[in-house]
Amino acid sequence: MTSFTRQRWVGTLLFLAASVVAVWTHLHFRGAVSHWYFVTGWVLLAVMLVVALYNARKKLPFLPMISSEGWLQFHIYAGFFTGTLFLVHVDFRWPNGWFESSLAWIYFLVMASGVFGLVISRVFPQRLSIRGGEVFFEQIPTLRHHAASEAETLALASIPESSATTIADFYERRLRAFFAAPRHFWLHLMDSRRPLNTVLDDINDLRRYLNEKERGALTRLEQLVRQKDGLDYHHALQSMLKLWLFVHLPLTYSLLLFTAAHVVIVYAFSGGAK
Amino acid sequence: MPEAFHIVERPQRFDAAFDPNMADVDVELLLTIPPFSEMDPEKFPKRTPLREIIAHDTRIRRYRKGEIITRQGDYGTSAFMVLSGSVRVVLEPRLPASLLGRREARKKGVFRLLAQLWNGRREPESFRGSQLQADERLGGRQSQDEFRVFLQDVPRILDRHRTDVMGTGDFFGEIAALSRNPRTATIFADSDQAELLEIRWQGLRDLMKSDDRLRAHIDRIYRQRALASHLRAIPFFRHLTKEQLAEVAAQTEFATYGEYDWSGDYKRMAKAGKAAPEPLVATEGDYPNGVVLIRAGFARVSRRFGNGERSLNYLGAGHFFGFSEIAHNWRQPDSPVALQNSLRVLGYSHLLVVPTAVMEKVVLPTLPARELPALIDAEAAPAEAAPEARSDAGAGEKLGADLLEFITENRFFNGTATMLIDLDRCTRCDDCVRACASTHDNNPRFLRHGPTSGRIMVADACMHCADPVCMIGCPTGAIHRETFKGQVTINPATCIGCKMCASNCPYDAIRMVEIRDADGQFLLDQDLRPILKATKCDLCVENYGGPACQRACPHGALVRMNMNDLDTFAKWLKR
Repeated sequence: MTSFTRQRWVGTLLFLAASVVAVWTHLHFRGAVSHWYFVTGWVLLAVMLVVALYNARKKLPFLPMISSEGWLQFHIYAGFFTGTLFLVHVDFRWPNGWFESSLAWIYFLVMASGVFGLVISRVFPQRLSIRGGEVFFEQIPTLRHHAASEAETLALASIPESSATTIADFYERRLRAFFAAPRHFWLHLMDSRRPLNTVLDDINDLRRYLNEKERGALTRLEQLVRQKDGLDYHHALQSMLKLWLFVHLPLTYSLLLFTAAHVVIVYAFSGGAK
Repeated sequence: MPEAFHIVERPQRFDAAFDPNMADVDVELLLTIPPFSEMDPEKFPKRTPLREIIAHDTRIRRYRKGEIITRQGDYGTSAFMVLSGSVRVVLEPRLPASLLGRREARKKGVFRLLAQLWNGRREPESFRGSQLQADERLGGRQSQDEFRVFLQDVPRILDRHRTDVMGTGDFFGEIAALSRNPRTATIFADSDQAELLEIRWQGLRDLMKSDDRLRAHIDRIYRQRALASHLRAIPFFRHLTKEQLAEVAAQTEFATYGEYDWSGDYKRMAKAGKAAPEPLVATEGDYPNGVVLIRAGFARVSRRFGNGERSLNYLGAGHFFGFSEIAHNWRQPDSPVALQNSLRVLGYSHLLVVPTAVMEKVVLPTLPARELPALIDAEAAPAEAAPEARSDAGAGEKLGADLLEFITENRFFNGTATMLIDLDRCTRCDDCVRACASTHDNNPRFLRHGPTSGRIMVADACMHCADPVCMIGCPTGAIHRETFKGQVTINPATCIGCKMCASNCPYDAIRMVEIRDADGQFLLDQDLRPILKATKCDLCVENYGGPACQRACPHGALVRMNMNDLDTFAKWLKR
């Protein structure tokens, strides 16, 4: 068993054990203890706050605290555990009332975005390393620009060299837009090779109409197309690896704010709700 | 039509003189004084005559009283002989780190750690005045085109430290120069016009080859000072008695292969996409003449495969080669085997060879059967076409052939804390870079980028080499090894920005930065040129918990790995 597998097993078993204990406790005490929902609510809030502290840990790398990897493992499984606590707190029913419903929806979105982030954090790096051509995200626009400039230069140079506009026309019709900006974002996320294959098919179709010199230029154009497609692939996947946090974090802050308001409202109006 | 060739002078051994200004009259004078006057010029080969060695491999250096000549712990490429005046060796107690231009790293206290929350400077590489203040007991001056450091208060040093005087004709620094080990003592000039002859290691090597007395002299002190302690650390010598160990030491041969300053050639050839030369030490299929022990540097174990050589392992200091074959032949003299693999030097290696006869007579009889290596099945391992599954020298099986070749070709085996990134786990979040910047004056000390093999990237970060080429030639001792864990660090207070370390580093892991004062203003010299300092990863030597980059990685993708600990490496790969 690899250490990652063992880590997963330990985390999952701890999560399941904690969940069983939480549900069992809830079922036994919800009728016996007055204000039981205050207890489950405070426990849920406490766990949520500890889970959210991971972001603070990331901001303080120089402090000798548990490693970020350890914190993330706790964040993941304690995050799942908040799901159990949430169900316990709402007594396995979707809340009614617009405020509680909104709070529940925000919680759901935080959880969903977290799970999405976890999945892509595990899947996308492998896909990027299999694809190769490792590149800094910040360098992608510059490299794309270089590829586009070279492609355009090649296309224009082919006119006087071959006294024909075949490549230039093809570039204008088929490749200019391709090189101009990142393309096929969603298809790359789904690991589809269709966009690249379509362009390559078109390039191959064109080859039969070219002389030897033009074929040399077209071969280089084909290399640039592959390079640009690789950059688009990295752009799509690396963007998503960064962007999901821009959803997860604001939602988390919203959740904490709504929760604070929820606590105030609950205490303000709990006088007659015994 | 342009010509297809261009005729030039063939490069020669003495093309580049150690001191281009070495005068003929100085060479003549040196030839009249011992030990050179006692050497027989006839014994020197035509390609390396005595006169040429002196003219091209030596230089005369004059020191003023208190100027430091060698520092304990530094790596040096040359030996010295006192021509006139005297020098002092500091014995006990050793000089404090600050007097050697170094800084003892101290862990940050709780308050300093917390203070980083509000005390962090906005501009990168900003220094307070006190951080750039060297020990007041040290002075510095420009002398003979180089920067020299001197001890301000020599009488006080003499009062507090036991020292010894060396005078005319005395040699020092030869062991460090030949064996690529750190210098064992600090030596400074004791008289105002101390004149020393500095002999670079190539010259020393050639002098030793042709002069029996010099060879015997260096041989003797090497055996006395360094050999016995090294042999004692080798596992199959541990059952030897003191007398037996002395017998082994007396018959052990030592040799130096490759180029001491290999990094320059390596960088040039790597840029040109060519393989650097790898001098052959032992050839597969030959009779094993002795067990080869690696004393310093690295060597590659390989086996013929097709028309090339497949790497099976790389060996570093403390490793050995040829033991299995010799042990096999001793146990089964009727079915002897030849060397199963070849051994090539990577860059530079200082090797010891314990002859087969000594191994058979003295060493092997002392070993219990369980400590003898397994017998070699020569039938099962045809040497000329070892298939992949037979890459049995260890490393290949553990890491995979491709990764091993990658590490060997790029010489990453030198790293004791190489930054490896598992691209299958890395989400490119740059938390490691941010953590490094937060810990080091807003200036990350590495690039999350570098050569890759499969899913493994070796990032451009200081590897804290086992053989730190960067430490050769630092004029002030600013770049040094930490006493406790051996990290290679730079003291900004004594770094003079000469770029020596940065240009020596074969891995481009040292960067020169323009520094600022505490207010964020760039510091300039009188000619309005920026003050430069060398910066590199220091493995967060002042922080608790180890390197911030590794602790900041949320996915366990980044690790600082000792590339000579292959078991840990293999375990990490299969985690």
